[in-house]
Amino acid sequence: MTLEELEKRVTLQEDILEIENLQKMYGYYFDNRMFEEVIDLFSENAESIEITDHGVFKGKEGVRRMYGGMIGRSFPREIFFEVMQAQGVVDVAPDGKTAKGRFYTPSFEARPFGGYVRSTWQFGVYNNEYIKEEGKWYFKKFHWNLTYWTSFERGFLKVPKLSDTPFSHADAPATAYHPYPSGYHVPYPFKHPVTGE
Amino acid sequence: MASLEDLQLRIQRLEDIKQVERLQKIYGYYRDNGDWEKVVDLFSDNAESVEVADHGVYRGKEGIRRYYIDLIKGGKGRKPRPGVMSIALQLQGIITIEPGNSEAKGRWYGLLMEARPTLSLHEGPLRQTWGHGIYENEFIKEDGVWKFKKLHFFMNFRTPFEDGWVKTPMVGQYGPDPNIPPDEPPTTWHPYPSGYSFPLHFRHPITGK
Repeated sequence: MTLEELEKRVTLQEDILEIENLQKMYGYYFDNRMFEEVIDLFSENAESIEITDHGVFKGKEGVRRMYGGMIGRSFPREIFFEVMQAQGVVDVAPDGKTAKGRFYTPSFEARPFGGYVRSTWQFGVYNNEYIKEEGKWYFKKFHWNLTYWTSFERGFLKVPKLSDTPFSHADAPATAYHPYPSGYHVPYPFKHPVTGE
Repeated sequence: MASLEDLQLRIQRLEDIKQVERLQKIYGYYRDNGDWEKVVDLFSDNAESVEVADHGVYRGKEGIRRYYIDLIKGGKGRKPRPGVMSIALQLQGIITIEPGNSEAKGRWYGLLMEARPTLSLHEGPLRQTWGHGIYENEFIKEDGVWKFKKLHFFMNFRTPFEDGWVKTPMVGQYGPDPNIPPDEPPTTWHPYPSGYSFPLHFRHPITGK
């Protein structure tokens, strides 16, 4: 093996690690309500961000509009979200400049609904795209799909979603919003590891 | 093009991160099975401290043994109580290798499912509970082996299965033990709904802040 080939292999492993870290750090920043830090994780050339049925926000400007309203806002201390970033599968493109990743998010939350704060369960799937610019990995396209959002007491079979949550200032309506029990499967970003299909 | 020395350093960093991740996950499997002697052996002989929830800070390897064996296990020869279960999934690890490559820091989420007494540490009826907290731990590499230097678990909530964290944020914690006291009082006992954010050890990957 040449030094050049070896460097390529090392770089690939570093890239996967950095992307996984980017996604996990996003989670910690989001849960700690550090939205300035969240916005800084997106490329200036970011394509779009889409979360549940909020709608599509385009460009870095859209990312700012998506999170901007939450910056500096004081949250009641009863509110929290712990959105765990689990089971990441990351594939870097052959040219090493872009990547795709899929993650699960089991979540504990305490959110206001119907006039008071409730314990809620939430679950969803990320299909995200990443871009490497000047040696650093950024979010390029961000898409979180809701599977369920239910009250602690009743569970996802009785109440798959507590309400719809479209944002009126989105650039476009949601491209995929199919919570339980739709039977919808979020498309796989990766190829089959054995058959290659 | 990178030199062989550069590449060796880069591979070393990747290996170190994998070893630290593995150490933390194995800690999880040992603790879930109540293998407390094995947990103690994951700590360096020069370890600083262990602090979990509101139990307080136990200093040094001796303090760590006192915490896990005397307090948590309930004494050296004590058999696990039938029906007790404690599963703490170790999730979302971020590991930072410090300059010098012999120390590291790591953050994890702990997602807990337990069947345990809630009126005292070892006695009383069992309840099923959900729990959540955050680790900010420190590690040290000695003779090529990564070990715990400091373990710190901030506890966010532990609620009965029937109630949920808004109704009943915390059960099963009663402060430092009077019989096996810590060396110092707890430093981060701020369970839900305190609004407390457990500080992040890592720097922002883009801004560096």
